[in-house]
Amino acid sequence: VNAYVVYCHPDPASFTAALRDRAMDALAAAGHEVRMSDLYADGFEPTMSRAESSDFLAPDHHNPEIDEYCENLRWCNALVFVYPTWWSGQPAMLTGWLDRVLVRGVAWELPEGRKRITGQLTNVSRLVSITSHGSSKLINVIEGETGRRLIGRSVRVLCHRFARTTWLALYNIDRSSLVEREAFLDRVEQRMRRLWWSPTGLAGRRW
Amino acid sequence: MRVVVVVAHPDPDSFNHAIASTAVASLTRAGHAVTVLDLYAEEFRTAMSYDERQAYHSDRPLLDPMAERHAGIVKRAEALVFIYPTWWSTLPAILKGWLERVMVPGVGFVFDEHQRVRRGLTDVRRIVGISTYGATRLYVRALTDNGRRTVMRALRLNTALATRRSWLALYEVDNCSLDQRQAFLKRVERKMRSL
Repeated sequence: VNAYVVYCHPDPASFTAALRDRAMDALAAAGHEVRMSDLYADGFEPTMSRAESSDFLAPDHHNPEIDEYCENLRWCNALVFVYPTWWSGQPAMLTGWLDRVLVRGVAWELPEGRKRITGQLTNVSRLVSITSHGSSKLINVIEGETGRRLIGRSVRVLCHRFARTTWLALYNIDRSSLVEREAFLDRVEQRMRRLWWSPTGLAGRRW
Repeated sequence: MRVVVVVAHPDPDSFNHAIASTAVASLTRAGHAVTVLDLYAEEFRTAMSYDERQAYHSDRPLLDPMAERHAGIVKRAEALVFIYPTWWSTLPAILKGWLERVMVPGVGFVFDEHQRVRRGLTDVRRIVGISTYGATRLYVRALTDNGRRTVMRALRLNTALATRRSWLALYEVDNCSLDQRQAFLKRVERKMRSL
């Protein structure tokens, strides 16, 4: 099946980049077709413009800056976010990507006479976050785990009704040992290898 | 009190800017020293750059003159007021980027000798968040509200122990009437007067 990796870190030599490489290798080894967007390398502009914000209800969004991302979103069955957690959530670059790329007609629709949006990314049945935190799990719980809730809830409602979410996080990274980081890389690899395993064998089909 | 009002909306004619001008007028009338940081008007850069990330744990993490100026203002602040629209349950990217690029080590928080995070904004004893939502109150409160958590919990951990927090929210802003909007502006005015 098709996996789309959205990667966000300014430093190509970062641990987050190593996580992305491991995840992509494992997905490819499991026989999936993988596409990747590197938001910093693309020079993506994360600030939503005045025109975009006032037109967000417009039915048609054609913008060469976001067309490729939208195409990938429609293509994929697994959506994988790889990013460092800053201020308890996604980096501004990734937040801005969500602001600008999840537009009407691609990610959601507002049917006539309805108040609530309906998700359009029904092709996505796996939603994965791979991230690292400077602080501990306890501090993240106190802060409200906003990054996890954003993907597991706000993005999840746009996807397939039975989409499964996977949360892979390394806490306390600033004080972690090399062994712990290696173990986390292995965990990411194993989890990505069996992303589509299921006891019934039905998972991963296009519903 | 020295109050810093941070506004993040791309449209200067938006309801969020009406909220901002109401808040600033009310605060000034109450005798506070108000500084407004309108992130879109100042064209604040959203994303942390490679160089800034490299310098983050160094002695001089503030490379951008605008971020440095904002950091100086924030360090002297006694109250922080955030005014923004909630997009995808959280802060607009420009405001999230402001937290990342201005609230660096030495400003928002400090590392102690064991590399543990300690509060940095010890002069701040008041946080107010004002936000507009497209979703309903029930949905936001039960399931999402990540922006509120970022401002009221994550940032709160770095301000004075006795910080008081207030949250003013207008839900279903796309469907609400003029009366509801005006009533909300009144609420903002009252809250700012009694800051």
